[in-house]
Amino acid sequence: MQFELRTQVIEPKRKTFTNLVERYGDRPASRYEEGSIDIQCVENFHYKPLYSADKDHFDPDYTAFTLTDPYSFTDPRQLYYAPYVQSRAAMGEAFAKSIDYVESRGLMQKLPGGWDGIVGEILIPLRHWEAGAELVHIEGSRWAWGTTIDQCCTFAAFDRIGNAQSISRIGIVYGEGHDGALAEAKERWMGDAALQGLRRLIEELLVEHDYGKALIALDLADQLLYPLMYSHLDEAALTGGAGAYSLLAQHYANWFSDQRRWVDALVAAWLGDPTHGEANKDAANEVVGRRWNQIVEAVSDLAAAVDARVDAGAVANVEASAAALAERLTAAGLTVPGGK
Amino acid sequence: MTVPAQKPARKLSMKQRYTALTHDLDWTPTYVKEEEVFPFTTFEGIKVHDWSKWDDPFRLTVEAYNKYQAEKDRRLYAVLDGFAQSQGQLGLTEARYMNAMKIFLQGIPVHEYNAHRNFSYLARYANGPGARFAALCQSLDELRHAQTEIHTLSHYNKYFDGMHDWHKWTDRVWYLSVPKSFFEDAQTAGPFEWLIAIGFSFEYLLTNLLFVPFMSGAAFNGDLPTMTFGFSAQSDESRHMTLGLEAIKFMLEQDEDNLPIVQDWLDKWFWRGYRLISLVAGMMDYMLPKRVMSWKEAFELYFEEQMLNGLFKDLEYYGIRPPRHVDWAIGEKEILSHQVYWILYQYSHAAAFTTTIPNAEDQEWLEKAYPETWPIYKQVVWDKAQRVMDAGGRYFNPGLPQLCTVCQIPMGFTEPGDPLTQCQRQTVYEGERYDFCSDGCQWIFEREPTKYRQSWLPVHQIFQGNCGGPTLPDVAAWYGLQPGDGAEYLGSPDHQAWLEWHGQTTKEA
Repeated sequence: MQFELRTQVIEPKRKTFTNLVERYGDRPASRYEEGSIDIQCVENFHYKPLYSADKDHFDPDYTAFTLTDPYSFTDPRQLYYAPYVQSRAAMGEAFAKSIDYVESRGLMQKLPGGWDGIVGEILIPLRHWEAGAELVHIEGSRWAWGTTIDQCCTFAAFDRIGNAQSISRIGIVYGEGHDGALAEAKERWMGDAALQGLRRLIEELLVEHDYGKALIALDLADQLLYPLMYSHLDEAALTGGAGAYSLLAQHYANWFSDQRRWVDALVAAWLGDPTHGEANKDAANEVVGRRWNQIVEAVSDLAAAVDARVDAGAVANVEASAAALAERLTAAGLTVPGGK
Repeated sequence: MTVPAQKPARKLSMKQRYTALTHDLDWTPTYVKEEEVFPFTTFEGIKVHDWSKWDDPFRLTVEAYNKYQAEKDRRLYAVLDGFAQSQGQLGLTEARYMNAMKIFLQGIPVHEYNAHRNFSYLARYANGPGARFAALCQSLDELRHAQTEIHTLSHYNKYFDGMHDWHKWTDRVWYLSVPKSFFEDAQTAGPFEWLIAIGFSFEYLLTNLLFVPFMSGAAFNGDLPTMTFGFSAQSDESRHMTLGLEAIKFMLEQDEDNLPIVQDWLDKWFWRGYRLISLVAGMMDYMLPKRVMSWKEAFELYFEEQMLNGLFKDLEYYGIRPPRHVDWAIGEKEILSHQVYWILYQYSHAAAFTTTIPNAEDQEWLEKAYPETWPIYKQVVWDKAQRVMDAGGRYFNPGLPQLCTVCQIPMGFTEPGDPLTQCQRQTVYEGERYDFCSDGCQWIFEREPTKYRQSWLPVHQIFQGNCGGPTLPDVAAWYGLQPGDGAEYLGSPDHQAWLEWHGQTTKEA
């Protein structure tokens, strides 16, 4: 049975805030829009920062990448805080189920020979890569011009430290409840030749204070590292009897496809900007030119260490990923250095 | 139940596990110089010997954070949706209550947002991983508060004036330069001063004085969404208070040379914050149809009792003394709200809120709350304003007020112990004269004249021709004010709509 519910209806005087009406027309706005568009102050700043006398505390010049209208970029996921934490709570719950299962069945201790080494000596040290990536992303949270870019960087930073923590949990399960595997992984991060390319890269990005350039360089590396570690090796683990690896890797692959959506959109906005597109392209080319070989070598070194433990075709995977990425960059009008 | 054959030695304790998941992620860079990775933590003169001493009592992980916060937001947004669907604004005490929320929307979310941005600064540049992670969580919380506040008040914006263009107002309108200059002062300082300014002084010392009037005011006046937001933010705030306290203790424990620097910042930021929340004093005594408590009572409870007699007793151990100029603040508690509201009343034709003469019921309450001082203000101010109203007019000050160079509030405060003599202090710096409302603001200027001489003072800017033109309509247009946003409440579009919704008509508006 249906009943008729009567409520007092009052015509609203306006549909949303004036800035959104001016921008999008007289229509109701989404919560993403009301909470993300034009939030950052843009004019009449009072004091120059003590830490940066030549720029304002909010200033478009903290990066070489400029948007004519900073809000021409919006998050394709439309994430503001509430849906962000809700989506991450769901991801966290899914990961917890997997790691609990792996732990309760002792699957980590049943990894076949070479896979044991991949987890203990390659995957677990990468928690430090994630921790470094957090610091790269949080730069954007502080220095971005405009809330929509800041917000994506903020969430990405929190995601990365979350990844670092969940990989640490894998390390604790791998160490049967102890932190010995984490301590060993850190030593490897500091000393193993296979990991030094990545460590050098992330450290260098921590002194690259143009957050846009650091973001692009980090993302180029991620675009080789993630497909290798969390998609290609997921497949290989399944066929190689390392179920635990596959169960856990899928979560990072899922996260990365979410991450791609906003990074791709932001880079596209930068390169396609009607006024600053060419200058942005120059800045991106500078990053690609300076970092490409370093990044391909760093991830290839890691892949070679994988292949030394399991014949997984890791090096070939990085080569293929790099070729495909080079093609995408070229299609976007960028110049990829020859050689690799 | 199965028990493993050989139980390994004791597993990680909760604390060890937390450390493994957080602090232990850090490493010392070797390919680049550490001081280039963290370039901003030395120039303020604060000495830190051991960042690992930064304690994080909450031991929050990302997983736990997301889970708790998701649940809290799920509940909050359910309340917001229900309130909107049921036209909840009809159940407010009166439409003029909205003025408190207009000031809130114009003056708070954007600075929560600024806090978010600057806690990201600390989340990046603090040398220790414990401090960085605590700052990262607070950065996200502050973004949450900015957005949930906007979403909470978004429904009201559809039905009331004075909210629709807060983005522009924040950057332009005269009284909003008070909070803007306050936050920008902190944002343009170094990371340690920020922690004392916002983490400690604002989030700990003055937080109850700021939030209780708004949130309890909401509860008393039928504003369910804002009250729910307040409850929902509380657990975040308790984390922030803990971080603020941790920050000051950390600095004081690291090196005794830090004490004079910290004390100086505390002196500055107490007075800066106190002047900022005087706007709240005016709001809570004059703009809430149903009052929670008076400013004076709130000041006595939340500041004198809890802070001066509580917190500062604890801080004595470190050599910290109560903030400079605190006696001046105590001496003002009976007059502060009267003076601030009178400023707001006479300039509300150029503001995005409305004001009105306290009605009979309000006056009765004011008389009880301020038996010594209310009669003075009634006689010298409100009786005159009433006579203007009775003659069919409305008193607005046609001139532009002089602003204090530091707090940027119009010069309407008085000499200590003499509520009828305006206080004015002056300092000449490099041949230019600067004016101040109080010893506190003058002292702050003289500590850092090169900073405060940069102040974007709205009145100066109008006179310099930077605000749309020389006349009030020019400036109002540049501000983005529309008819109904400001001026007198009685007969305003908000007032008329309210009467219409409740089946009454405006008497003679």
